[in-house]
This record gives sequence, C-alpha cells and structure tokens, in this order.
Amino acid sequence: MLFRNKLVGAVEIGTSKVTVIVGQFARGRSLSLVGLGECPSRGVVKGSVTDFKAASDCVHHALELAEHSAGARIDEVHLAQSGAHLDGFQNEAEVRVSAADNMVSALDMDNVCRLAKSKQLPEGRTVIHHLRRPFRLDGRLVPDPEHLDGRRREVGYWTVHGDESRVADHIHVIRGFNVRVEELILSSLASGEAMTTPDDRQHGALVLDIGAGTTDFVLYRDGCALLTGVVPVGGQHFTNDLSLGLRLNNQDQAEKLKQHHGSAVAVSRDRADKVWLNGNLALGDRQLPRAAIEQITAARTRELFEVVRKKLGANYEPERIAAGVILTGGASRLAAVTDAAAQVFDVPARLGEPPAWVGDHLRAPGYSTALGLLLHNLGTPPEGSAAARRPTAGGLFRKLFSVRS
Amino acid sequence: MENHFPPGDLPLAPKILTDRTLAVKVIGVGGAGTNAVDRLKMESLDRLQLAAIDTDHQALSASPLQEKIVIGSAVTHGLSAGGDPALGHDAAEGDTEKIAAAVKGCDLVFLIAGLGGGTGGGAAPVVAKLAAQAGALVIAFCPLPFSFEGGRRLKQADESLRAIRQTCDAVIPLPNDALLQAAAPGETTLNAFARADEWIGRAIKGVWAMLFRTGLINVDFASLSSVFPSRGGKTLFGLGSGEGADPAAAALESLRLCPLLATAESAKKVDRLLVHLTGGADLTMERVNGIMTALTAQFGRDAHVIMGAVIDEALPGRVEIVVLGTSEQGATSRRPLSAQRPRPAPAATATTGGSTPPVSATTAAKPAQDEFAFGGDTASRGYFDNTERNLFEGQDLDVPTWQRQGLKIVL
Repeated sequence: MLFRNKLVGAVEIGTSKVTVIVGQFARGRSLSLVGLGECPSRGVVKGSVTDFKAASDCVHHALELAEHSAGARIDEVHLAQSGAHLDGFQNEAEVRVSAADNMVSALDMDNVCRLAKSKQLPEGRTVIHHLRRPFRLDGRLVPDPEHLDGRRREVGYWTVHGDESRVADHIHVIRGFNVRVEELILSSLASGEAMTTPDDRQHGALVLDIGAGTTDFVLYRDGCALLTGVVPVGGQHFTNDLSLGLRLNNQDQAEKLKQHHGSAVAVSRDRADKVWLNGNLALGDRQLPRAAIEQITAARTRELFEVVRKKLGANYEPERIAAGVILTGGASRLAAVTDAAAQVFDVPARLGEPPAWVGDHLRAPGYSTALGLLLHNLGTPPEGSAAARRPTAGGLFRKLFSVRS
Repeated sequence: MENHFPPGDLPLAPKILTDRTLAVKVIGVGGAGTNAVDRLKMESLDRLQLAAIDTDHQALSASPLQEKIVIGSAVTHGLSAGGDPALGHDAAEGDTEKIAAAVKGCDLVFLIAGLGGGTGGGAAPVVAKLAAQAGALVIAFCPLPFSFEGGRRLKQADESLRAIRQTCDAVIPLPNDALLQAAAPGETTLNAFARADEWIGRAIKGVWAMLFRTGLINVDFASLSSVFPSRGGKTLFGLGSGEGADPAAAALESLRLCPLLATAESAKKVDRLLVHLTGGADLTMERVNGIMTALTAQFGRDAHVIMGAVIDEALPGRVEIVVLGTSEQGATSRRPLSAQRPRPAPAATATTGGSTPPVSATTAAKPAQDEFAFGGDTASRGYFDNTERNLFEGQDLDVPTWQRQGLKIVL
C-alpha cells in the first residue's frame, strides 16, 4: 500500500462549477496531476448545497469525467469546504514545562495542544480544522520548541467549525459516488497553499479567493495560518448588482458585461462612453454607459474588501503583511482588482500564481482551490526548498488536519 | 372639502376639522437647518411661518428670519455646541419654555435639522418632542453629512437619526451623498450644500402647495396626518418633475431616478402613500390617471393611497410629483387602534383604473411578520431572492452595494 501509487481526487463543489483534479501520489511524496473533470454546478448557492439531487448529479458527472481523463478509478477524495456556515474562534493554552532541566518534551507539546483544542463547540457544529499558530516559548516565537530550554509553553489555535448537517451534505454527495472522503480542507486554506510559497507565509500574506458565491480568505503570519474566514459574496453578486442596476432581465447579459467591461476601480468618467449590451446589433440591443457598469462593480469590490478587512479586525496589521494581498478565484479576473485591493488593504496586491510546474490548462485562477487540495496533503512543498525542517512539522500538521467527519 | 374617501374611512380627529386656519411652521435647528430655512424665506410662501433655533448666537444673528431663538445660553454662552450632540441636547432641555412657546398652536411643524453636528443632532429630538406635545404633526427633514465630512460625523448622524425617529411622525433622511449623485463633477462645496438645501425646499414647497393651494383634487391636513398614523416607522419620500412634450412621462422618469428613492432605506412598498401632483392648466385627468396607475404599481397596489392635484398657472407644460409614503414596520402605534382597522380597498386606487385586488387585511395587523420584508424588499435581491439573508453588520450583502450606498446609476 505504501508503495502503490495513489489516485486522489481533489473536489471543489463550487457555486458556478464543480472541479475535480486527479493527482497521482507516488510514495506519498511526489505528485503529478493526471486528470481533470469539471461541469457547471447546479443546486449550489453561495457555497452551500441547496438541492441535493441536482448537486449530486453534477458532482458525479464531474467525477466521471475526471476518472475518464485520468484513465483509472479515484481511490479517495479531498473535499473543499466553504460556505457562510463556517465560523472560527481562537483559543489559547499554556503549560509549565514539566522536566526539571526545563527541556521541552514531546509530552509537553501534546499537553499544550490538547488543552488549546479542548474548547467545547455549540450544539450541531463540527470541527473542520484546528489551525495551530506558532508556538511560543517564554514569549518568544519558536517554530518547534521540542528539546529547547524554557519554562512556559504557549500555543494558540484558530478552530474552524461548521454546521454538521451542511458538512455532512457535502460528504454524502461524494459518498454517493462510492468513493471515500479522506480529508476535508477549508477552501481558503487550499487556495492559500496553492498561491503562496513558504516564504510568503513566513513574511505574512493575505490570500483572497473570490469565487462565484463566496470569498474565502486566509491570513498567514510567521509561516502559519492565523485566521481564516468566508464572506458569502462572490462573482454572482457582481452580476446580480449589474442586472438590477442596469435593469437587465437576463443574468447572462449581466455576466457578459461584467467580464468585458466591469472594473474594480471606476475609471471612466465620460458619460458619453457607452458599450453595447449584446454587441450583435439585433433587436433589443442597446447602449449602456461604461461609467455605470464600472461604478456598480467598483462599489461591490470595495465593499467586499472592506468586509474582509473588518472581519480580520485587529489581526490585520498592514506592516506585518510583507508579502501583500494575493488574489485568486474566478472573480479575481475582474479588471483592476489588484488596485482596489491595494487601496483597501494598504499593502501591495497581486494576482496569485500557482507553482511553476502546474500545466497551462490548470493555471486559471478558478482552479486554485482544487490544486491546493492536493498540495495541502503533500506535506512537503513541491519545490523541495526550505524543506529541511519540515518533516516533523509536516507530520504534526497532518495529524492536526485529520478528518473529523 | 372634496375627498375621495367616504368620511368613515379616515381616522379624522375632530379637532382638526374645525374651520380655523391651519398653522404650519418650518423650524430650522442648528446651522444646516437655519441655512435651509433662510433659503426657503426667499421663496416667500404665504401662510408659512419660519423660525430658527440654534445655539450659536453669531450665526443666528446673520439670518434674515424674524423668529430666532437662541438656546442653551446657560450651557454654551451663545457659542455653538461644537459638534457635540450631548451639548446640543442639554441646551435644548435647558430652554424648553422658549421652544414650547415657538411651537405653541402649530398644526404642522416641519423640522429641518442637519444631523452629524451638535445642535442639529442633539436639540432636534427635543424640539420634535415639544412640538408633538403641543399637538402638532411633526415631519423632520434631516440632511445627513457628506462622506467627506468624516466617519465620526456619520456615526453621530446615525445616532441622532435614531433619536429623532422616536419623537417625529415622519423623518425623511436626506443623505447628502445621494443628492450629490446628480451633481456635475467639479461642483464646489458651496454649491453642493446649496443643492442639498434645494431638495428640502422642493419638498416643503410640495407639501405646502398640497395644503394651501386649491386644485383639482384637494388634500387637506387631516388626510396628510392620516398618512402618519404611527411613529418611528420608515418614510419614503421622492420628488420628480418633468416638462416637454410628455411632461407626465418625464416626471415619472425623473421620480424613478430620484436619488432619495434609490437608497435601501426607503421601502419600495408602502402601506400608505400620499401623492401630490402640480401641473399647468393643461394637466388633464387622463394624465393624472396615467401617473397614478404607474405610481401605485411601483409603490404597492395594496397601499392606502391619498392623492392630490393642483393647477398652477405659472407652470404650463410642467408636472411635479411629490410622493410621501409610510410603512408600519418598526413603528410604534400612536393613534388608537381603531384607526388601523381593516379597510376596504381605497376608492382612489379603484378610480385609477388598476385592477386592484381587494385588500384582505391591513399589514398593520401583522407587523412581526413584515419586519424582514421591509428594507430588504425582495425585489431588490434579484438572483438571491429565495435564499437566506446574508447579514453583515446589519446590512444584507445580497442587496446590491450601489443600492445600499445610494449610488445613482445614470443610464
């Protein structure tokens, strides 16, 4: 088993599409992407399954396509989690180092981690992740305190929890295809993993994945994920704003206008600058002012970023986000979106780039979550650089992120 | 009085039906309020009394008005409240006799108070309370600060707005930002404030014309007060004017684009709607009918509609529309319950030719259920109509941002 190549399907049940990327793990170390299946999703609104039957049908279809393109059965699935029902809290714990010589032992480590995670959850909630923040030993930040000398050990966790039934819905959709869900991974963490290097995470970075129905964000600092969150606003909101604001009765028309003429920053001031609605000069085609389109999309973008910033609260300190804001997700293709992000977050912003080895057909921003689902599990970063210390950390990481379905 | 309603239909208080003349007073509170009243003075509307209340002696002495009241001499020594609503409040509380004397005997008080500052925000709720105690119907116009005036003023304005809603029959917030949308780029600050005042002027002039001019269809004071049966509810207010080949259509179009109606604050469906039309001698019944049909369709077919139309010889080929609507949500009942008993379909809607379904029960009977329907008017959520509400800090994020922020989208 250990030496067999394992086929893992990374499944993201998104609001606009279902993506399945098949990765082949050789000896649990190296990863190659061998298959892709995707289809427009139905029965998913703002990241949550609302119509089980419809959602199942399209997820199963995407899984079939993926297996077909990989040419083999998928052994297990890593499933992305998003949606407004996710919530998080932080919890901290500290222990005195027990040994007489003040050397931190593995037992101390276990103790403090268990204490920090012991917070009770409200009824009907289930833990998705315990995200460990860096250890502190006598107040000083240490990546791995074992065998170090100190008196007081502290650790903080960001615990992400979600509605039990919503999470179960997602898992049942996959189980219906008769394949095991090995891991549940937060969409934001997955995208974050795909879009940042360990260096970015060390320096501090904010990753925003703007999908169709939700915006998932994760804040990295000191190499660890400090905070994650979901804002149930995405590309569809931009489209809806446009269709109401421009009085269009067709979401498709609004969607097209958004893609071609939308902008995250209102640039056009010229009221005479107009664009055609359909561009085919047929009956019903009319002209719309570009300024109006930009005004609507810019207002939404700005508000979205402001909501994220408010949700981060005091944890967001621009001076500690040296790697800046990294944007990804399908809706990040909006023009000038990095300018708007830079304005709101007061740090440089850029569009996320997947690792260099990812093939061209998977480099679109819409794939970053699915890619991250595979990378997340890889333990070691694919570049192999800066990995010297990782084995221990990776092992612990894996333990912490084990499935709690 | 000619009226479209059978007399038993309206919650008329007998004392307002006596034949004494109607006393209507416009009171400006604070700097912004005084400025707006000063501007109204130039319109020289007869039978409209004007007064100003301020803590700032110097600013008040520059005003051309006759009735000027300095309040809070003991608190501020004739200087302004310095942007502190608590100080403004204390100033008004300290001079209640002066204010009570000013509002004595008024039937209708228009309060103009710029919120965000000290006197306007702090004293206006007190003035409103005293006016209401004196038996007047109080309608407040509250310009809200421009965003460029800073977050603190916006926050204060928000708090003051809440306070003033408790004591007035109707509060019409006028977000200066929204009024600015119509402004040309490069407009000076002075013009921007003048434009905001102009909106208040138009509003008050509209209501004044409604009450004092006789015309095609009269609206009397009792009908006006019946629009405001309760306190603390939200008020919808919009103005439109049009001229040209088809002034009625142009006015409707202008009303549709009215920035005051674009804010999420204003409900799109109301329980009571007062419509007032002013037009030239060429205003035909046919046009009135057309406008009313369009308006009832837009603001709620089930609404209790009161309409008035006035002919102004000075406005040939021009139509002006004033709409005032109220909704039950968030309101505390002021008048006896009998005023809110189920009514048959209002005759006015029937005459407009719409196939109005009979009103089965007033919405007043089930305020708890409507609480959510209000403000988050389902129509404005579009694609997200049937999904859970997406609340963040009291705002529904599914409602378009431009709508909540009151951006005017020029098409």
